[in-house]
Amino acid sequence: MDAELGATKSGGGSGGMQRFAIVLTLVGLIGVLIFYWQVFFWVNTERTMGVAQRIFYLHVPAAWNAELGFGITALCSAIYLWLKDERLDWAAVAAAEAGMVFATLLLIEGSLWAKIAWGTYWTWEPRLTLTLLLWFIFLGYFMVRRSTDNSEHGKRFAAVLAIVGSLDIPLIHVSVLWFRSIHPKPVIMSADQPMNLEGDMLVTFFTALIAFTLLFLGLVAFRYGLERSQALVAQRLRRERSA
Amino acid sequence: MSLYLTQLWAVAWKDLVVEFRSRERVGAMAAFTALVGILFNFAIDPTVVRPEQIASGLIWLTLIFAGMLGLGRTFEIEAQDGALQGVLMTPIPRDALFLGKVLSNYLIMMAVVLLAMGVFGVLFALDWGNPAVVLATLSLGALGFTAVGTLFSAVSSGTAMGGTLLPILLFPLLVPVVIYGTSATNRLLADRPLSEVDGQLRMLGAFALVSLFVGAGLFRYVVEE
Repeated sequence: MDAELGATKSGGGSGGMQRFAIVLTLVGLIGVLIFYWQVFFWVNTERTMGVAQRIFYLHVPAAWNAELGFGITALCSAIYLWLKDERLDWAAVAAAEAGMVFATLLLIEGSLWAKIAWGTYWTWEPRLTLTLLLWFIFLGYFMVRRSTDNSEHGKRFAAVLAIVGSLDIPLIHVSVLWFRSIHPKPVIMSADQPMNLEGDMLVTFFTALIAFTLLFLGLVAFRYGLERSQALVAQRLRRERSA
Repeated sequence: MSLYLTQLWAVAWKDLVVEFRSRERVGAMAAFTALVGILFNFAIDPTVVRPEQIASGLIWLTLIFAGMLGLGRTFEIEAQDGALQGVLMTPIPRDALFLGKVLSNYLIMMAVVLLAMGVFGVLFALDWGNPAVVLATLSLGALGFTAVGTLFSAVSSGTAMGGTLLPILLFPLLVPVVIYGTSATNRLLADRPLSEVDGQLRMLGAFALVSLFVGAGLFRYVVEE
């Protein structure tokens, strides 16, 4: 591990990552600004649900990025346990933190929408339940990482939790489906009526999806760079102490 | 194969002997179960709800809390004097070690399950309907719970927070057990036919199998130095 860090530490790699992160985040933020203009001033109001429907444009990208984050975390954790490559652990924790941001956003704006559409902030509906549990599994992931004296153990424990969590999520999903679902059905990719949104709504939706995904990837890239810097500092300190 | 089973049993037997001589975990779990049954009795107003309507949920939560009490200490004794290092140095494969731990925990857990059925049956005057099927439901759920619980008990004893962390890691993962377990037990208590709980029992079985396999596969990364 030390040799490998030594190889990347002298420059190019780290700067490249930083530039990549800045570009992704800036493009993502510009996309988010365009999206906010679209959603507040441009797109037509939906007929039955009214203004509250506009939360939908934020909702689906948030759900997608939260799940993407958890998927990347679980995948990188599994390969990390197998290959023991530090970089996979950095990617896992970076994706988990960005995923946690979007999962939190999803729960908050979803509740606000539910208060208007369903008349209640919270209901034990399958997708809501699943998102809340996902949020708590993420929480456990960070808690277990930070509560060990030996950080190697913490990383491995967190990886084990991410893997068990990712295998448990299909089971949780099936089990919570036993409750009756009142969540709106998919509108974009539904099989019987593909693309049944109006043109301006589709444009707004895809602006949001792309902008927030770029922002997500930018956050992951920044966080990955931070993990790497921390590892380099720790490694340098160790070397100075032993010298 | 027989060597594997011998090794698995050696681990389980060691833990059971320790438990039999100290009676530490079973005693605490049994007292906890009985006391919770008594507390629930006062926490419920029988003029508002009939006990058999909520007994199923109370039993499952009692089992999970009592189980957490015992499972949390799975690796406690071995944490002292580096005893776990000794166990890890034996030529027993890690998965056999894990399954042995699950087996001893499961047998202890089953003692608590039987006790809970007795305590709740008597205190709430429950009519079990078909006690064998209720026991089968509780046993299947307890198997999945024990498998996940043993894995994360190893995780939590490796952290500075110890047992405090265990419920936070475990509860979100246990949702399927609670949903299928309570719904099956509820229907059995309401004297519904067996065919109505068939699906839940299968799902509890699936959860237990997945947990055992995943736990056996991942345990090595938890105890690795």
